[in-house]
Amino acid sequence: MRATTSSAFALEQVTLRRGDAVLLDGVTCEIAAGACTALIGSNGAGKSTLLRLLNRLDEPTSGVVRFHGEPLPDLDVLALRRRVGLVGQRPVLLTDRVLDDLRVGRPGLTEEEGTALLARAHLPAGMLLRPTAGLSGGESQRLCLARALAVGPQVLLLDEPTSALDPVSAAAVEDTVRDLIAGGLTVVLVSHDAAQARRLAGQVLVLRGGRLSEQGPVHDIGYLKERA
Amino acid sequence: MNPAVPTWAGVAASAALVGLTILLAWHGRLNLARDIAVAAVRAGFQLAAVGAILLLVFHHAGRAGAAGWLAVMVLLAGRVAAKRATGLPRALPIATASAAVATATTLGTLLALGVIAPDARVVIPVGGMVVSGAMQATALVLVRARDEAHAARPAIEARLALGLPSAEAFAPHLRSGVRTALIPAIDSTKVVGLISLPGAMTGLILAGVDPFTAIRYQIVVMYMLLAAAALAALTAARLAERAMFDDAHRLRPLTSPPSKARA
Repeated sequence: MRATTSSAFALEQVTLRRGDAVLLDGVTCEIAAGACTALIGSNGAGKSTLLRLLNRLDEPTSGVVRFHGEPLPDLDVLALRRRVGLVGQRPVLLTDRVLDDLRVGRPGLTEEEGTALLARAHLPAGMLLRPTAGLSGGESQRLCLARALAVGPQVLLLDEPTSALDPVSAAAVEDTVRDLIAGGLTVVLVSHDAAQARRLAGQVLVLRGGRLSEQGPVHDIGYLKERA
Repeated sequence: MNPAVPTWAGVAASAALVGLTILLAWHGRLNLARDIAVAAVRAGFQLAAVGAILLLVFHHAGRAGAAGWLAVMVLLAGRVAAKRATGLPRALPIATASAAVATATTLGTLLALGVIAPDARVVIPVGGMVVSGAMQATALVLVRARDEAHAARPAIEARLALGLPSAEAFAPHLRSGVRTALIPAIDSTKVVGLISLPGAMTGLILAGVDPFTAIRYQIVVMYMLLAAAALAALTAARLAERAMFDDAHRLRPLTSPPSKARA
């Protein structure tokens, strides 16, 4: 299968084994550019594993992953990761100060650029010079989003970005993600929350036991209808 | 014979102290009397064997024998340090290479500058101290590198995901490991002579050398131990970083959890 022009990623017969365990089994799908695609399924279905293949934090045992038509191993991996950002489940802050955290991936970032990034992540400008130690879970996760945006990615991979947060913080992070999607960013969202997938995603991929069981527009997905 | 060196009769008499220790252990019902006796006899035989071999090397094997002796010490040091770092990919070659680089560079510098004589009776004991210091620093760095890679995987992968190369992504964690490994060498250099009279100086004084001459040797020993620890730590850190990441700047899975490896 060749990627269509509107797809950011195309996976062809992607399998990932670790020891005897088959984490992904012959997954073939496309992920649209400029939209949000949700990867859903129960725990252990292979959602996070598939996400990590998209910026080469993991490598398939067999099969091909293409980004805008190019097989990932043909691309410079560091450049790829700057084009395809990743935010994990739990916020991981890397420095003692908000501005320094934003500068991890972009050392020359100015304070003005830092303030603009905070605004994109729905964080107040006054936070820029504050220590990271006092931030709430929701603020920390939005700072991680801002830090990923600092390197100017075309795609943002989000691995259950709200699952470790309280409902209020989760709603704030979701608002930020919704605005990023509306701004044209390609987002791949791993979620076990069917309602969140319905709220944010246009396309959905459903994984069961490492296999792709359903894919299509969010309103056509039986897995989501069963959980309405 | 120097009167400061005990005779064999004196050595036998000092066994009275072992007898006293055994008596105290037996009296205190510590259940250690047998262990103490075995340890004391073992120490006697081991040192006698080493003394005999060194005598042979000094008199018959010369510089080639000294080089061989050093090579064996480096190999043993590599094994000991690598065993501490179970679970780290390629731990044995990394530990051996680190000890070898530190020993070759430190001893090579001392020999090239004419600080120590190129004789087996000098190179072997001095080399032993260098290898031992290098081994300790190597083990500390490898253990810290492995534990940091395990505990800080989310932070390391967060940096990798921002497009940082593996060396930069791991640098903050490796730096703390190298600092930890150098603390013993730096601290013992700081307090030398104040808290302890170190081995080389003590040995020379016991052998009848005047203290002001003995400290010259000790100063050289402290400087060389500092260099050996730093060289070993930095070599081990660099090699460990390369072993833990693949060509696509991915942190490899560590096969054994640190708690199990430390046990």
